[in-house]
Formats: sequence, C-alpha cells, structure tokens
Amino acid sequence: MDIDILLALQDGIPIVKEPFTAIAERLGIESGEVIERLKKLQGEKVIRRFGVFVRNRKVGIIANAMVVWAVPSHRIQEVGNFISKFKEVTHCYQRQTILGKWKYNLYAVIHGFKRETVREFVRKLSEEVEIKDYLILFSTKEFIRRSSGRVRAKDRTLVGD
Amino acid sequence: MEANGRLDGMDKRLLQLAQDEFPLTDQPWLSIGNRLGITEREVLKRIGVLCKKGIIRKVGPALDARRIGLKASTLIAMKVPEERIRKVAKLLSEYEEVSHCYQRKHDYNLWFTVTARDEMELEKILEEIKRGVDIAENDLLDLRPIKMFKIDVRFQLA
Repeated sequence: MDIDILLALQDGIPIVKEPFTAIAERLGIESGEVIERLKKLQGEKVIRRFGVFVRNRKVGIIANAMVVWAVPSHRIQEVGNFISKFKEVTHCYQRQTILGKWKYNLYAVIHGFKRETVREFVRKLSEEVEIKDYLILFSTKEFIRRSSGRVRAKDRTLVGD
Repeated sequence: MEANGRLDGMDKRLLQLAQDEFPLTDQPWLSIGNRLGITEREVLKRIGVLCKKGIIRKVGPALDARRIGLKASTLIAMKVPEERIRKVAKLLSEYEEVSHCYQRKHDYNLWFTVTARDEMELEKILEEIKRGVDIAENDLLDLRPIKMFKIDVRFQLA
C-alpha cells in the first residue's frame, strides 16, 4: 500500500480542499490511512520532504552554479558539513576524483538571483573554509530536471520491504 | 499575484510556508490559510494560479532515491562539441534514469546524473548512453558519489 500511495501522489497531489481524501478514494482506503502512512514514510526518511516544489527560474532565481572544490581528504567531513549549512546550497556531495583528469572532490549546487551574488557567496565561503582551489560552473541551459527518486511502476519494491 | 505576473507578498509567504511546513492533515490548505490570515478558498485560488503559471512544479513528496531502492547513481561530465549538444541532450532525455542534465560553462560542458537500481543496471545504462552519444572515453568523467551531505531543494522567497 505504501507503494500504491507513492505511485498515486509522487507527481503531485490534486489541488483541492481535501487532497488526501481524493487520493484515498482512488485507492479504496480512508484518508486517515493515507496521512498516517505518509507520516510514517516521512519518519523513515523515505520521504525527504513533503510540500511545494518551486521552479526557481520562474521566480527569478536564475543564477545556478555547481561549485567544485579540491578539499584535502582529511577535511572533507568538516568542509562538507559547513557548506551544507547554508540555505543557498541545495545539494552537497563528496565524489570520487579521477587521477590526472579531475581533482575536485566536493560539490555543491548553489542558487541565487544574480551570478555576481553567487560568485561573492562562493568567494566568502571558500575563504572561510580556506580552500582556494575551486571552480564555479554556472549552468547556461537546463535540459532535464526531474526527481531522481521516483518509484518506478516496474519495480514495485521499497528498500526494507 | 500582481497584475504584471510578479509574486506579491502573500504569494511569497504562501510559497515559503508550503515549502517549509506543509501540514499532512485532511485540509492542509485550511491550516496554511489560518496561519497566513487568509481563507482556504483564497489559498487554493493562489496555488491554482501559481501552478498554472508553472511557478509550482508540484505539491507532493521528494523521495530519497536510495530508500526506494535506487541505490546506484553517478554524475557524468562530457565534452560535447557545441553543435551536437542539443542532440545529445535529447538522447539523454529519453532515459528516465537521467534526472538532471545541464549545459555548463567549462570544457566539460554537459553534466548529467543517472540513477539506477544497482551497479549492474547503472553500468548497463552508461554503456548504452556512451554508445549512443559517441563521445570519446577521454572526454568523459564518471564522478561516483562517496558521501551525500545535503539535498534540500527549497528556495528563500519571503
């Protein structure tokens, strides 16, 4: 049933007074059960967040950069935690380097209204963590953007089921 | 919303609250309205307009890919000749496993993420993509994740 609920609403709830009742009716259960299961899934962190998702470009947040830093491995944890604290940062990952080709190991996606603001933010951030070796890769075109976490109808399993 | 299509103060507060603290209750818009001092009807009207204008992508859950069984992922960077970039992006968009794809200002100018059930499925998709896009191995970086520090896609509007 968890999977049925997620399949039914992962692309969005209907914009009506009682959205969970509408979903419940489709599934032949009570709205209370939908809500309880969603809360449980949120508690288990299967659902990272529930709510409105905004198309940032449409509200003027058009400066979007992927910033990559070359961080000494013993400082990755500390620097990663520090960078992740800022609300301008939506994603932060450590990734493998590629010998002789790519030395950057810490990635953050950063958003702002203007490129200049993002550049200034990154300059200050990098100064604070004392990492001088970094690149700011502004996106010039968005080709694909969808959720990576979609329950696929063909799988029908959740981890831990 | 203002006549010129810009968000007014109430839209901003509404979007902020509905990003940050969406209530899982029978009438979520009613409690959001109560907190903002407007009626459920007005909330629904505003949300409807924001959806229609494409400002709201969706109202729903963001799922943790790993916790729903998609355990392998990577970020690929490629050097694609400018004149081929659209074609390559179009090919990538046909894979539901490719979730994000951006052109960026760098020699590695096309960046995309791939998410799959497991290592085997990921490799299979990558092999297929590599054959399809015809980019030399040397012009490609396969940047596997080691640690996720943060994913929280919310925007500060109010």
